[in-house]
Amino acid sequence: MQWSWLHILWVGLQVTLRLSLYTIGFSVVVAAAFAVASISRWRLVRWTARFVVDLLRSIPILALLIFAYYGLGKYIASWHVDPFWMAVGALTLGEAAFLSEIFRAGLEAIPRTQWEAAESLGFRRTSALARIIAPQAVLPSIPGLVNMSIFTFKDSSLASVIAVPEVTQVANQLVSETFKPLQVYLLLAGFYLVVILPFTALAGLAEKAVTRYYGLHVDKASIARN
Amino acid sequence: MTTGEITSDLLHGGVTTLEIAAGAWAVSATVGLAFAMARDVGMLPVRLAAASVTALLRSTPQLILLYLVFFGLPSLGIDVGGLTAAIVVLGVADASFNAEYYRASLITVPRTQRDAGMSLGFSRLGTLAFVVLPQAMLYMVAPLLNSFLSLLKTATLASAIGVPEILYRGQNDMQLTGHVVAVIAVVIVLYGVACMPLIRFISVVERRARERLYT
Repeated sequence: MQWSWLHILWVGLQVTLRLSLYTIGFSVVVAAAFAVASISRWRLVRWTARFVVDLLRSIPILALLIFAYYGLGKYIASWHVDPFWMAVGALTLGEAAFLSEIFRAGLEAIPRTQWEAAESLGFRRTSALARIIAPQAVLPSIPGLVNMSIFTFKDSSLASVIAVPEVTQVANQLVSETFKPLQVYLLLAGFYLVVILPFTALAGLAEKAVTRYYGLHVDKASIARN
Repeated sequence: MTTGEITSDLLHGGVTTLEIAAGAWAVSATVGLAFAMARDVGMLPVRLAAASVTALLRSTPQLILLYLVFFGLPSLGIDVGGLTAAIVVLGVADASFNAEYYRASLITVPRTQRDAGMSLGFSRLGTLAFVVLPQAMLYMVAPLLNSFLSLLKTATLASAIGVPEILYRGQNDMQLTGHVVAVIAVVIVLYGVACMPLIRFISVVERRARERLYT
């Protein structure tokens, strides 16, 4: 191992962080939209949202990446879209589907009486959702969001297969130059650990705090794993 | 290549995907149980070791674990094929998640059951295996089904080390024939047909288990 490796991998890690942050940001927006649609009063909207979420949850994220790059890429080649943004798009679709289930569980955990109270005060359904229900659902969703962020960070390594120069791709190149796969990949794993372990601790703390504060347990068994 | 030929090629890949997922599922269920039992009854060093190993496995991307075993281990003289590497790595990585769910289900059994087991002369391991585990099994059904669902999807990672599963073949077909839309459609339909009913079924099982737990 040489010190130059650290520097090379650090450059890749910055791309990984950028990729993850954009994906998390877009995922929150898309997931919120899916979650709201999936508790809609209109059956058609509700069913469509749930079908799309289930379908997205069924497709492997790696497949979404390959489709975006080799599939879509063929048709939009003249636009010169950076693979980075294709990866952001594909990862966002995959992660948002899971995040929307977390948001939906948060919304559904708000007691029906809150809706009724809002209605009796003359709130329409939309403004009741925006001003009374959704704000209460934010805090219980935080542990799930932190968990999802960890998954997004790990899944961003898949973008290496579509030539995004993030840290895994950089490590692959390093391996092809040095022929030392064991050392390079161990070091790479170390890079991921250094970023993830603090967040894992944070997720645990957030979960404990929320469980104690609300006395409720939002069931995550079906959504805590891609 | 016609759409029919593409479909049959991808279905062959689907068989390999099923092999990977089923193999890794078996690995995950047993190794996960071993991790959970080690954390439950082991001595302090064993407990700490099990806790750190599962934490490390959960924090490393599966793709990198796969590269470590497939590209890294041969330099130590351990050379396994792509299929074996995929089954073992994906299985052990998933086991680190299953261990948590096993533990959570063990906690649902009241402490008094353990005390009762011990007072009847069972060892700690005996109490766990013959008294606690059978009562906790109900709460393991949903996590284990989830594990399979998750492995069906992570099996695609094997394409990165050249195992001809569904996505590997799909990618080849796209590049060789240019029938991009056909390949994407077939892959989506195959995964949708396999996973969407499973997702619904799991949520039913989860609801049943939860209702039983809280009533």
